[in-house]
Amino acid sequence: MKNLIRIIVISLMIVSCQKTPELPNSNYTIGGGVFVVNEGNFRSGNGSLSFYSYDSSKIYNDLFYSVNGRPLGDVPNSMAINGDKAYIIVNNSGKIEVMDQSTLKSTATITGLISPRNISFINDNKAYVSSLYSDSVTIINLINNSISGYINIRRSSESIASTGNQAFISNWTGGKEIMVINTIDDQVVDSIEVGIEPESMVFDRYGMLWVLCNGGWARLNYAELVEINTSTNYVEKTLVFPTKEASPTCLKIDGLGTTLYYLDNGVRQIDISSTEIPSITFIIQESGEYFYKIGINPLNNDVFITDAVDFVKQGYLLLYDGTGKFISKLEAGIIPGSMCFKLRINT
Amino acid sequence: MSIGTDTIKINEVVISRNKYNSDPAGYKKTTIDSSILVNYSNSNLSDMLSENTDIFIKSYGMGGTATPAFRGTDASQTLIDWNGININSPMLGQSDLSLIPVGLIDDVQIRFGGASMSLNEGGIGGTINLVTKPLWKKETLISINAGTGSFGQYSGLMKVKTGNYKFQTVTKGYFQNSENNFRYLNTEIGSEPVWQTRTNSQVRQQGFIQELYLRNSNNIASARIWYESADRNLPASLLTQPNTGEKQFDESLRTMLNYDAFKGSTDFSFTGAWMMSRLNYFNRLASIDSRNLSETLTLKAGLENPIGEYAKLKIVLDEQSSVIKSNNYAHNTTRNTATMTASIERNRNRFGTTILLREILDKNNLLIPDFSAGVQFRLIDNKTYYLKANISRNSKIPTMNDMFWVPGGNPDLKNEYALIYEISYEMSQKISEPFNLKYDLSVFRYNIKDMIEWHPGEYSYWTADNIQSVNSTGAESSVSLDYMRNKINASLKAGYSYTRAIEGGSNIGNDISVGKQLMYVPENKANASFRVGYNNIYSLWVANFVGKRYITVDNSKYLPGYFINNVSTGIKFTLKSSSFDMNFNIDNLFNINYQSIAYYPLPGRTYFVKILFQIVK
Repeated sequence: MKNLIRIIVISLMIVSCQKTPELPNSNYTIGGGVFVVNEGNFRSGNGSLSFYSYDSSKIYNDLFYSVNGRPLGDVPNSMAINGDKAYIIVNNSGKIEVMDQSTLKSTATITGLISPRNISFINDNKAYVSSLYSDSVTIINLINNSISGYINIRRSSESIASTGNQAFISNWTGGKEIMVINTIDDQVVDSIEVGIEPESMVFDRYGMLWVLCNGGWARLNYAELVEINTSTNYVEKTLVFPTKEASPTCLKIDGLGTTLYYLDNGVRQIDISSTEIPSITFIIQESGEYFYKIGINPLNNDVFITDAVDFVKQGYLLLYDGTGKFISKLEAGIIPGSMCFKLRINT
Repeated sequence: MSIGTDTIKINEVVISRNKYNSDPAGYKKTTIDSSILVNYSNSNLSDMLSENTDIFIKSYGMGGTATPAFRGTDASQTLIDWNGININSPMLGQSDLSLIPVGLIDDVQIRFGGASMSLNEGGIGGTINLVTKPLWKKETLISINAGTGSFGQYSGLMKVKTGNYKFQTVTKGYFQNSENNFRYLNTEIGSEPVWQTRTNSQVRQQGFIQELYLRNSNNIASARIWYESADRNLPASLLTQPNTGEKQFDESLRTMLNYDAFKGSTDFSFTGAWMMSRLNYFNRLASIDSRNLSETLTLKAGLENPIGEYAKLKIVLDEQSSVIKSNNYAHNTTRNTATMTASIERNRNRFGTTILLREILDKNNLLIPDFSAGVQFRLIDNKTYYLKANISRNSKIPTMNDMFWVPGGNPDLKNEYALIYEISYEMSQKISEPFNLKYDLSVFRYNIKDMIEWHPGEYSYWTADNIQSVNSTGAESSVSLDYMRNKINASLKAGYSYTRAIEGGSNIGNDISVGKQLMYVPENKANASFRVGYNNIYSLWVANFVGKRYITVDNSKYLPGYFINNVSTGIKFTLKSSSFDMNFNIDNLFNINYQSIAYYPLPGRTYFVKILFQIVK
């Protein structure tokens, strides 16, 4: 009995010694590098923000919690920088954290979004945010950090790319269209039929929009890489993947805007002038690795890969140079996902 | 020991000779006090078990799903039985304890580790057997129980037991409603903590049990039916967006026929059970409409025969077939499992031994047989000091979701299995006239292999495989001291458990979780209760401590431990054949802010008042 009481008392004392977050090196965001958005497990609230610094060749983890003293949220999906502000779209918390991009101090939280995924800045006052579970794209007022309206596109939305007065929005889950919005009056003006489940998009150096359609999870359709002329909104070229098993994701482009990268059982490369899907793998995925997202440094073509391992344990950030040579492997957070480059011109 | 609030005096007449329920030598089994059951009559099983036993309950909070974990095993390795028949969902392989009202159950038996093997297969961690039974008396008992409390809780329970020495009928019905709109401090969003009110958390639940028993000089027959339904909204985590319109409808219908016959020195037992369970889940935001219906037919036949003077042989055949209709499976799916168990129990002088062998026939393959061996030694003649030890190999068939869920279910999964070692010491003694002391200590070790884990597969969806292993070591100890003299009766109980459940690794490379404590398994758990009664007034204090629980596989983050106190006091009047009991209860007396699962708040101080009226004629 005495022992039991002792155990209880000791345990209570242990409990009252709460862990205080370790403050990161204050220089962590000085200089160039890449932010990694660690999604964490659905509903577990263990998403986090990491930063790889070129200056120190180190990764700094759990930055949002360290700076702001609270968790980032449930399933942060993507991050984007606009001027001196950084935005993290937290999918299952239905919010956007607005931070000072150098200190990472949260300056505003925009709430009430429905399953937000990605953000695209239209101009200094306005951004569009895609939504997995609603039929509308949300318009954000960047001046007062609020929702200023919705554009009903009658389908869910994933990737957003904008140029000139047009925004292109992909209808990923179960869809096969790119919706075109006039960004002056926020009206849907056109739709472009592409392959099954357009997941990611980039512009090349000639202003062509490249759309990667992954073909759907069940592998009933072929995946496609589609090139769209954004002045006519017509499909210029369609490259069909050779087997239904291929399920490519995460389309990126290099700094010159001529070489496309994507994930399909390893990292693949394809030149924009190519007429067929390449059969060789640029960076091979080893057993035990799970390549989840990629990022290409536009200044030097370094390839960053997030390895989600088993989606439960801490994942890794892998760094390769532009020739595909391995440089380093660094421990990140749980399910390290999409990346956001913080550029310094002389990197 | 039942003291004070024990409004239902249960005479310990052995009414069932159901042979699967007898206790083999060498194993650990505990039974919850009837006084505790009465005190929790308007609660669900998860609250009762988490506050009074070594079992850790992972709970999403009032009305939310609550699943048990024994000794570092997971919820699907813990069986919930109803009179010896498993009622876990064949799809998920687990039971939601928040849906089982304590008021319907007459007796709760907990069998740890290898002790569960004498009931059925698959309870690697253990089995919680919920017993419903008649009182073989020529009388009619009617009891009505009504309660109301904070956060829109109100509930009612009615029981009618009537019959004679040959025939008994038992009817029980209940309902429970709760808004669960408690307030909590949300420190996780925004720079300042905000007070929020739990939303989308309403629960409505109802059910009944009807039982008929017929007894003759050499046989007992019974028929039982248990219906439950629960409609609940599922509240969101502190970090997720509110009002996603998540809700769940659970419905179950369980029927059971039992016939026990005694012919000469041989006992026969036959049980047939048909159970239906429905789980419909809706998520308006994500447009999920998941409909799942499972039906399970269990046929169980047992035979028990003496061998010589000191030993007996038991043989049990168990056949189970499940049919699943789910829009998450490719088509309606059926599974058949047959098991045969043979055991020999021998008791002579101060020695007891048990040997059990089991073969599971699944998909027409004979598997490596399971076994268990137990020994028991009474230290002093005619005194209750026991040393017990057992070693077992117990396996568990995969859940139907692990095998058939689309996408990712793997029909080629092997059974999970564990090697279990356990040593325990038990004693009970009258110290001096009014004092009685009981003490027990158990040490266990589990090596669990071929554990099923979902992991990302070759394509972009997850798949199930037998890749994980866990080694769990620990100890449980409890002590109780009872005092009874004149008008005062008092009882003090305390229990402590230590569990070190270590991830043994999977064959996924770079395994940083190897050697780390499993998530959501507390190393330390303790509970204590003190009950005192004087004349017709009684009071009860229940304290429950749960140590820190890691919430990441590499143990980098954890939820702090919590220490929760509940108090309750009441007054009871007895008038000839009727009695009236009024009780006032405060849960979480010190208004502690705590979480069982990360970011799911639990209620602060909660009040509950209930009355119980009972007539016996």
